[in-house]
Amino acid sequence: MSKASALSAQPATGPVRRLHLPQKLRNLELFLVLIACFINASAVVLVQLGALGELDPTLMLLGAGLSVLVISLHVVLRFVARDADPFILPIATVLNGIGIAMIYRIDIANKQGGWESAAVRQTVWSALAIFSAIVVLLVIRNHRVLFRYTYIAGLVGVLLLFLPLIPGLGQEISGARVWIHFGSFATFQPGEIAKIALAVFFAGYLVRNRDSLSMVGKKIFGARFPRFRDLGPILVVWALSMSVIIFQRDLGTALLYFGLFLVMLYLATGRLSWVILGLGLFLGGAVIASQTLNYVNGRFTNWLDALNPDVYNAKGGSFQLVQGLFGLAKGGLLGTGWGQGRPEITPVPQSDYIIASLGEELGLAGLFAILALYLLFVARGFRIGFAGQDDFGKLLAVGLAFVVALQCFIVIGGVTRVIPLTGLTTPFLAAGGSSLVANWIIAALLLRLSDTVRNQPRLVV
Amino acid sequence: MNVSELTLLVLRFGFLLLLWMFIFGIVYALRSDLFGQRVRKLKTDATPAPAFSLSAVPAAVPAAAAAFTAPVARASPATDSDLATAHNTTRLIITSGPKAGTEFPLGTDTITIGRSSDSSLVIRDDYTSTHHARLMLWNDEWMLQDLDSTNGTFLAGSRVTVPTKIPLNATVKIGATSFELRR
Repeated sequence: MSKASALSAQPATGPVRRLHLPQKLRNLELFLVLIACFINASAVVLVQLGALGELDPTLMLLGAGLSVLVISLHVVLRFVARDADPFILPIATVLNGIGIAMIYRIDIANKQGGWESAAVRQTVWSALAIFSAIVVLLVIRNHRVLFRYTYIAGLVGVLLLFLPLIPGLGQEISGARVWIHFGSFATFQPGEIAKIALAVFFAGYLVRNRDSLSMVGKKIFGARFPRFRDLGPILVVWALSMSVIIFQRDLGTALLYFGLFLVMLYLATGRLSWVILGLGLFLGGAVIASQTLNYVNGRFTNWLDALNPDVYNAKGGSFQLVQGLFGLAKGGLLGTGWGQGRPEITPVPQSDYIIASLGEELGLAGLFAILALYLLFVARGFRIGFAGQDDFGKLLAVGLAFVVALQCFIVIGGVTRVIPLTGLTTPFLAAGGSSLVANWIIAALLLRLSDTVRNQPRLVV
Repeated sequence: MNVSELTLLVLRFGFLLLLWMFIFGIVYALRSDLFGQRVRKLKTDATPAPAFSLSAVPAAVPAAAAAFTAPVARASPATDSDLATAHNTTRLIITSGPKAGTEFPLGTDTITIGRSSDSSLVIRDDYTSTHHARLMLWNDEWMLQDLDSTNGTFLAGSRVTVPTKIPLNATVKIGATSFELRR
């Protein structure tokens, strides 16, 4: 069905007006993207003024490189997804740029410079990530294509998840076995990409099978609980996340996948009983794991008794967590200013603890601004799902947005001592290539979904 | 170059301010999401008073559209009892309201109706909710579901409370607009 002939109009009443404002949406996006680039550039300038006391034009190229990439993505959108949501790209740009500025700031503190520094690596990864987003937008012209590859996506997701367990390919860094390495220079966390594949799989699977999961069952205490034989899928995903906890020793990833499945199951069936059941299963598993697995037990101790000097000084104790809290406390309401705090005292301040570093230098006001950006990003994703006309697209959009939200909650909750600390990357912000690539692909998929949603034949009365 | 404390302080606040202005800029651009679409005032001549009566029957069709819809309306009683299915229904025709006479092709996709701009059928009047109702295919039959709208959705004069099968040529009334599903 071509766009022009999508609506036939009666000559008596004049042509049907389509609610089609592509230029308006894209111009709004361009305006916001330019502000976003300005914010990123001023962050880098402020880091240099604050930490070096002078301007260093060579590394200004960092900010400029990201701007060029984002604007090229914007141009691609003008051609292939004209009705896409105008807010996703600027929000992702600001988050990515603030992350690069903070990583650059920590490079300065650690006296790292030149092309080997973490900030340059992060910029190169951003380039790769935005390039993959462009490729996704060009290749996937309609999200329903993904529906055909439901089970392949599921297989790919599980394979990626367990890739690091292959001897010789997998690599263990600070206890968790979630990386794979190519040679000595590049490491990759395949679990990050797996979350997209699994979101596609869950969406496709639940659209096909939700009837049997939602219609039948016994009523207990007002909620309809599923039959025993319908528990298969949730038990499989539960076993999968428990094996991640046991073999890869990564609590965060396990929680992320299980939470994603639970939310999509709830969306597809509208049954609260699944959430109760799933939370019960996960809490049971977590309690057993905390009793039997040393590292999980340690995480719980660090969380509950963080400020105890014994725990603080112990090897693998709460030193890092408490340093992060001290940093946040030093930042106060308005922060110390870019380049004027000492975030480098906390171990890994540029990846797991980037939120603590940003909280120190930008204060509560800056941290809440970052959280507000995440809120807007996730809200756009939910909104796209809500407006969607097909169930697969609805589930996929909400699943992708929720995975970003849950990841933020797990990592920021861990740093601020709301939940036990688990190693996950803060979406768009933290140093780490695989996470950047995965999150930019999520952004690209949301852009594609929003374009399809708005591109339906439409009549305005 | 030496930067004074004061300059850094000003720049620090400036950056936070810039960040928040960006956020409020986005929220401002999103305001229709929060407060709903702006209502378009109805032209009084386009929708005469009878159009608001709940017992909307083809007699309420405005005179301007009557000339066009009359032949179709005359043919309708013969097929009144048939339910609209994916096989026998091809279009949705607006029978009264500002756009009376316009038709909208039906595929297999869900048709959402409401004031929000992402609805398939956007009706911008005072009586329509942001997400008012939707038409969807259940087992190849068109169903009408009211999405908890304020002023209700009416199928052949009675208010729709649960998803209801739609007979062919039956009048569905939302706000000041009514439409029918036709072959």
